[in-house]
Amino acid sequence: MNADESASLARAAAALPGSSLDYDVGSWREQRPVHHHRPAPCHTRCPAGEDPQAYIQKVQEGDLEGAWATIVAVNPLPAVTGRICPHPCEDGCNRGHFDEPLNIHGIERFLGDLAVTEGWRLEVPPLAEDAPEVAIVGAGPAGLAAAWHLRRAGVRPVLFDRYPVAGGLLRTAIPLYRLPRRVLDAELERLFDAGIAFRRQTKLGRDLFLNELEQDYDAVILAPGLQKPRPWSVDGAAPGDLRYGLSLLEEWIDVGAAPLEGKVVVVHGGGNTAVDVARMAIRAGAREVHLVTTRALPGAADAVGPEDHMQAFPREVRQAVEEGVIIHPHTTPTRLIIRGARLRAVELAAVRAFRDDRGRTRRVAFEGTERVIPAEVVIPATGEVVDPEGIEMLPRWRDYLASDRFGRIEGRPGLFAAGDASGRGGSVSAALGDGRRAAMAVLLHLRRITGLPEGESEAVPVEALQLYYFDRAPRREPEARPAAERIRDEKEIEPGLEAGEFALEAQRCFSCGNCLACDNCWNLCPDFAVLKTPEPLADGSFYVFDYAFCKGCGLCAAECPTAFIEMVDELPAG
Amino acid sequence: MSTSPETIDLRALRRRQPRFSGMDPGHRACQGCGQSLAAHIVTEAAGPDVIVANATGCLEVFSTPWPQTAWRIPWIHSLFENTAALAAGIETALKQQGRPTKVLAFAGDGGTFDIGFQTLSGMIERGHNVLYVCFDNEAYMNTGVQRSSSTPHAAATTTSPAGRVRPGKRHLKKDLLAIIAAHHLPYAATATVAYPGDIKAKVRRAMAIEGPSFLMIHAPCPLGWMHGPELTIKVARAGVETGLTPIIELERGEVVSVLPIREKKPVTEYLRLQGRFRHLLGDDPVAVEERTHLQALADHNIETYGLLAREGDLRDSLSAALVRRGGAIR
Repeated sequence: MNADESASLARAAAALPGSSLDYDVGSWREQRPVHHHRPAPCHTRCPAGEDPQAYIQKVQEGDLEGAWATIVAVNPLPAVTGRICPHPCEDGCNRGHFDEPLNIHGIERFLGDLAVTEGWRLEVPPLAEDAPEVAIVGAGPAGLAAAWHLRRAGVRPVLFDRYPVAGGLLRTAIPLYRLPRRVLDAELERLFDAGIAFRRQTKLGRDLFLNELEQDYDAVILAPGLQKPRPWSVDGAAPGDLRYGLSLLEEWIDVGAAPLEGKVVVVHGGGNTAVDVARMAIRAGAREVHLVTTRALPGAADAVGPEDHMQAFPREVRQAVEEGVIIHPHTTPTRLIIRGARLRAVELAAVRAFRDDRGRTRRVAFEGTERVIPAEVVIPATGEVVDPEGIEMLPRWRDYLASDRFGRIEGRPGLFAAGDASGRGGSVSAALGDGRRAAMAVLLHLRRITGLPEGESEAVPVEALQLYYFDRAPRREPEARPAAERIRDEKEIEPGLEAGEFALEAQRCFSCGNCLACDNCWNLCPDFAVLKTPEPLADGSFYVFDYAFCKGCGLCAAECPTAFIEMVDELPAG
Repeated sequence: MSTSPETIDLRALRRRQPRFSGMDPGHRACQGCGQSLAAHIVTEAAGPDVIVANATGCLEVFSTPWPQTAWRIPWIHSLFENTAALAAGIETALKQQGRPTKVLAFAGDGGTFDIGFQTLSGMIERGHNVLYVCFDNEAYMNTGVQRSSSTPHAAATTTSPAGRVRPGKRHLKKDLLAIIAAHHLPYAATATVAYPGDIKAKVRRAMAIEGPSFLMIHAPCPLGWMHGPELTIKVARAGVETGLTPIIELERGEVVSVLPIREKKPVTEYLRLQGRFRHLLGDDPVAVEERTHLQALADHNIETYGLLAREGDLRDSLSAALVRRGGAIR
């Protein structure tokens, strides 16, 4: 309005049409709403570094190939991990505080299987003629993940393995009923097709040597896994025909037989290998299978702390018991009763852990609690250590190769350690994540990236969510085959989700810390200061704050179901 | 494809929103104003072919500070007492001209329960084709939070302060809907800002009715009710879930549907959010008695209207607000 107009208005009792859009109510604001992406707990809990929220969002949007591509940008083996990972993501899932956690592994497995059926390919950039070459020793999960992330970054990885086929313990130690080998083979074939070289039957310290590798390659990653069983005896005594759990398991997977039929078997150990060995013994026709562990059952209340629980996946322990394995928690073998060269019985005693005043755990076997169980075979599965052959000169941390979080070995630039051998493994997903971090460190070493990622920020807690915008919905998870049936064959015991169930399960995701595109902020702003955009914005949302009109009431943040909107203080003007 | 918020022309984007808006921002409503939100939702659902008669009150004041207006639809300001008469006159004139434009009357609880009550009754009795919307924030907020006949029992206002002699308003909230129902009008309903989808559905229903209709929308006032501006929806929702704010629909004066409560909450869940009820939260005998009284009023509502959800209800206080990727679940 110009000066003449306002002068005439002052005398006339009429106003020219003026819009409140010309008035600055934004200046009232003390706080402003901002979109604030925070990681969902499924993401922060994933040892492999997957972001389930991100790929389930794609499923909700109907983009299944995009969802799969989101997973494989981190983990190239989703059909494998969807089956055998103990899914700590689900323990973290905020939905668990509401009804039941999302069946994240089921969704991952469905996408992994779909990719195999559909023949989806891994996208990689072309390799330059002078692309750097990196040697990776060990084609298990850590080595494979490292190779994949180097290849994605335009580096030429060469994998070495002592076996004729890749897969590492995925092939030698994971029972067929948990991971059908056609699934493993399909994902490995696709990975190698993306341009990863594989040198089979090549063992470090026998067929090639570390100094050669360091000379011939721009960097070397050691991911040999844990191959040597920890030496085992009870007070120096062991049966003459002692076989270690891991080698029995390997033989059984390979040739389908183990010499245990009709025997009473005692397995000693509380980890996943011990549980797998016990379940193998059931399938191999053992008359009775006892699993003896100094630890408590997973989650049991009588443990002195988390370190006192069996280091085996609860689901597997549960299934072992269903199949007839008799577990003796908080028990240790105190004597082997051997007649001639043959084992006749094992003496067991109750054991408990105590924490000393320095926080260390000490285990005491109690005198007077001994009992004897007749047994013909004892199988130790009390852990493995790094096979030192070829790497004797490298620094150690306990039984492992000493290295930092990114696998860097002190004093050896260009040499990296990853996976179980680094002591940062424990599950396939942990090894995959460790391999990925080592690849990052290699890329930094090769000056192809400028820094390493920081640790993730804190996950969105359930208290930050507005749960009344969600309805309860049951978790969809197919039942495992009955124990009596599954011990008679090697077929997979847990079926995958059906397509319809898969879609319904994906709909259950809260999208913690991310925009759900639910329209709440757009619908509930009393100042019409939230505008909807036709295309997604850089932050993944469809909404933009019009700060000219936002008074900073905070209603949008208070009613954002997923805690994606946060109120931050306005800086004082000037 | 993704865009950075900084590169967006917001004025242009505002004109390309995938919904109609009868109001623009820049109005002077307080932060978190429930009435502003309710008016926004009503005008969205009513669409552009309307004329609004607006009684004196907050909505009128904050939307039209001279020489500006927030209205994008024809709008006329009336006195406190004659909005319904004004709306009836416009409706009669439009009818004479054969124009289908729907007339809306907007007023607060003061303009509806108290001062404009007589003209409202006359408008309904004469059968004018008008949708009358009462934005119920339970006191005269614009003039400084004086009690109205809509102010709930025991709420503190500037003219019914909580003190040693009396714990807030002595009298009960007027059962206006029962009086409206006694006119046997085609359609009357209550709604609340906690359920925008429900408001829109009721406005669309009323728009389609030939004859008088009445919609009362519970609209929290952060200033007068003394709660944080970010709590407007939570307060409104607690009103529904405790039974203090029955959400119902009437046809010819009979209840035809209610929004049942999925999980009933004690009235303290509603009271504790608001400073106007702060004096009722203690352990002193008066507070305990008044709290119990309000609980009895809520229970009475629940019994009268059958507000508890039953197995097989298609819609309830939880499901009416559910969201998922892509928007509200209908």
